[in-house]
Amino acid sequence: MTAEAPVADAQRQRVLDHAAGVWSASSRYAVVLLLLLGIFAYFSMTQPDFLSQANIENLLTSSSILFVVSIGMTFVVLTGGIDLSVGSLLALSGIVLSTLFNDWGLAAPLAVLLTCLIAALIGGAINGVLIGKVGLSFFVVTLGTLSLYRGIVNIWSDTETTYITSGFVDGIGFGKLAGVPYPVWIMVATYVVGLVVLRWTYFGRDVYAVGGNIAAARLSGINVARTLILVYAIAGLCAGIAGVIQAGRLGAASPLVGESTPLDAAAAVLLGGTSFLGGVGGVTGTAVGVLFIGTLQNGLSIAAVSSFWQQVVTGAILIVAISIDRIQQQGGLRRRRGTGL
Amino acid sequence: MSASASPSSPSAPLLVGEALHKRYGGVHALRGARLAVRAGEVHALVGENGSGKSTLLRILSGQIQADAGTITLDGRPAGFRTPTDALRAGIATVTQETTLAQDLSIAENVFLGHRMAKRGPVIDWRGTRSRALAALQRLGLDVDPSLPVRRLRPDQQQMVEIARALSIDARVLILDEPTSSLTDDEVAALFGLVRKLRREGVATIFVSHRLKEVFDLVDRVTVLRDGRTVAEASIEELDRPKLIHLMVGRALEEIEPPPAQEREGTAALRVRGLTLPRGFAEVDLEVAPGEIVGLAGLVGAGRSELLEALFGLHRPTAGVVEVNGAEVAFKHPRQSIRNGVAFVPADRKLHGLVLEMSVRENLVMASTSRLSRARRPAARRELPIVRSSFDGMHIRAHSSRVPVATLSGGNQQKVVLGKWLATEPRVLMLDEPTRGVDVGAKSEIYRLLFDVAQSGVGILVSSSENPELLTLCDRVIVMFRGRVAAELSRDEATEARIAHFAGGHR
Repeated sequence: MTAEAPVADAQRQRVLDHAAGVWSASSRYAVVLLLLLGIFAYFSMTQPDFLSQANIENLLTSSSILFVVSIGMTFVVLTGGIDLSVGSLLALSGIVLSTLFNDWGLAAPLAVLLTCLIAALIGGAINGVLIGKVGLSFFVVTLGTLSLYRGIVNIWSDTETTYITSGFVDGIGFGKLAGVPYPVWIMVATYVVGLVVLRWTYFGRDVYAVGGNIAAARLSGINVARTLILVYAIAGLCAGIAGVIQAGRLGAASPLVGESTPLDAAAAVLLGGTSFLGGVGGVTGTAVGVLFIGTLQNGLSIAAVSSFWQQVVTGAILIVAISIDRIQQQGGLRRRRGTGL
Repeated sequence: MSASASPSSPSAPLLVGEALHKRYGGVHALRGARLAVRAGEVHALVGENGSGKSTLLRILSGQIQADAGTITLDGRPAGFRTPTDALRAGIATVTQETTLAQDLSIAENVFLGHRMAKRGPVIDWRGTRSRALAALQRLGLDVDPSLPVRRLRPDQQQMVEIARALSIDARVLILDEPTSSLTDDEVAALFGLVRKLRREGVATIFVSHRLKEVFDLVDRVTVLRDGRTVAEASIEELDRPKLIHLMVGRALEEIEPPPAQEREGTAALRVRGLTLPRGFAEVDLEVAPGEIVGLAGLVGAGRSELLEALFGLHRPTAGVVEVNGAEVAFKHPRQSIRNGVAFVPADRKLHGLVLEMSVRENLVMASTSRLSRARRPAARRELPIVRSSFDGMHIRAHSSRVPVATLSGGNQQKVVLGKWLATEPRVLMLDEPTRGVDVGAKSEIYRLLFDVAQSGVGILVSSSENPELLTLCDRVIVMFRGRVAAELSRDEATEARIAHFAGGHR
């Protein structure tokens, strides 16, 4: 890399560097991607209904809620944390939406917008401030808010499901644009925004830096507290969006939704190659991880496998996929502790 | 040190690694390395960073396995599959990074791995403690063995680690940079013990970047370069230039400091009566633009705390700090950077770099921290920084996109330096700027610091290596227990004088 290197050389080098970067990033979820293609091909051949348009639509829309939550979770995991409260916040968002729309009589689009903003605010102001500013452990804080929000949901809703009869909210759950269901559009939009923010903003770099080495990030002048607050706000925002989709799909706000969401999202993020120590990974891997879980569950349902067996298979495949991935990446289990040279 | 001090009968080597090869992904770390140590000898393993020393030691101590090659112990093949195998065979290792359990007691750490004294099926705590105390006293370390390790200073922790290795009654003792955090007295105690072990027939493999220690202590030397053994010789056959030539593959030119110049105008950094409880007290110092001022003293003398406080990581309880004539009280590194103060921390892996991120991202991390976080990292802004760092400092990397973890220690340190120079500081503070850096990279870093000073930056550098301060500094400030004990000009400063004041003598 010298200053007087010919321009063509520099450009070629840049392309090569970029290719190397893409390859090393994608190799983190290559195994899961292959498994996804594998089970997709398997179900296509063995289940005649699998490839039907209706089923593909169903597969994608039913994955959309987990997808959106998992994108938000990816940000948190990249900083070396985890947000266990996203499921409770998802349920809380449904109740907030129903209150704003049914009780306050706000217009549905405004109620939806406010719901998402409130969820982001809650995520940033409570989880974010306690973890980023006060310096409490992410595990303790989000375990606490998991229970706290769920309790509020149950008290507020009196454990009753409230119907939301709005064409707009229904549309979010079942409407289509250009033949593609809205939840799928939302899913794609969340992914694209997540990708852009992580790869093409300084904030995105901060997320990786904080997760990679929080002390070095702080010494470099990065505002670590603000980064963490924003990250938990993003997780909250995504939980809010997912809560709205959920309400649209049900036509109601149910206090029971989202019980298993935090762990499913964590599984998807992990499957997608994002390191639970932080600093390594990204939303593309998470997208592959969610689609893998969604495809597996959809295919097993069509094959009339009971939902309990689906749980067993999903769990087993999760462990196997991640083991293959780690063995492949480290060239063997033994080397785990080696640090290179 | 003459070889006759040891029973150097022409015995067959005790531990031999022959034709060892090891690859990590694309990196060929070892390509035919050989190391043979005899009983009753102290054997230095030297080489630049990245020459494969650590890899070779990891293979010999069972932490990793070679791709090819043979290891024999007592003439019998011995491939260690785990560290436990190596320990059972009597090979004990002390690494530069301490591997102690911080919340267990010293005694428990010394006898970690089911080696505590027992009475029947239960642990005999009193016996364990007294045995631990004996092991520590052999090293001249006078601490209560029931204290948790966390309460000890870094140098004391290193001594506990050494005591642990010695308590194994090893036949081969591997010391990988054991002295980097030790005071002179502790080094002397350690060397005394190693010499005693030599008389008892123990083979010691000694790794150090301090060549003086190598010449003081060892009998034979093996030199590694680019993963190959390039020389194996008795220490009498070598002198310092010859050894460096073997390590680097070329002769190093001497570094001449630029001629001193008249300095006037406002001090870049001025400190008056600065005090931090449990850190330092009533520190006065001044750094002129273009001047290099050194901070000398033992580990724990308050040098690191002083630099950290000046960067805004601690809040001093009294005193005044002025940067370029303006009084400042930094609460956060962001403010320090904005005011033209930069800080290269002592431990680049813990505080200096985000290892998974690319060289480029690390290089621009500090200088872009003031920009709006919504902005896009633009190549137009970053490439000039990357290019000038690569050109100005000869960073050796395949590309600026590779993770900084794949670079050698010396090159990593250059990245940390480049990151801070990119902030265009007026005051540059460095803590142990060449720790774990090979000779070649060391002189490159010195030359760079001279250039930076010439451009008008005031430099404050803290180091445990007094020769380093003598090479670099226009003035040396010696600290003892948190206070300034002496201030020596370049003409006054000698190694002996610095050591005298650092030891608390008047």
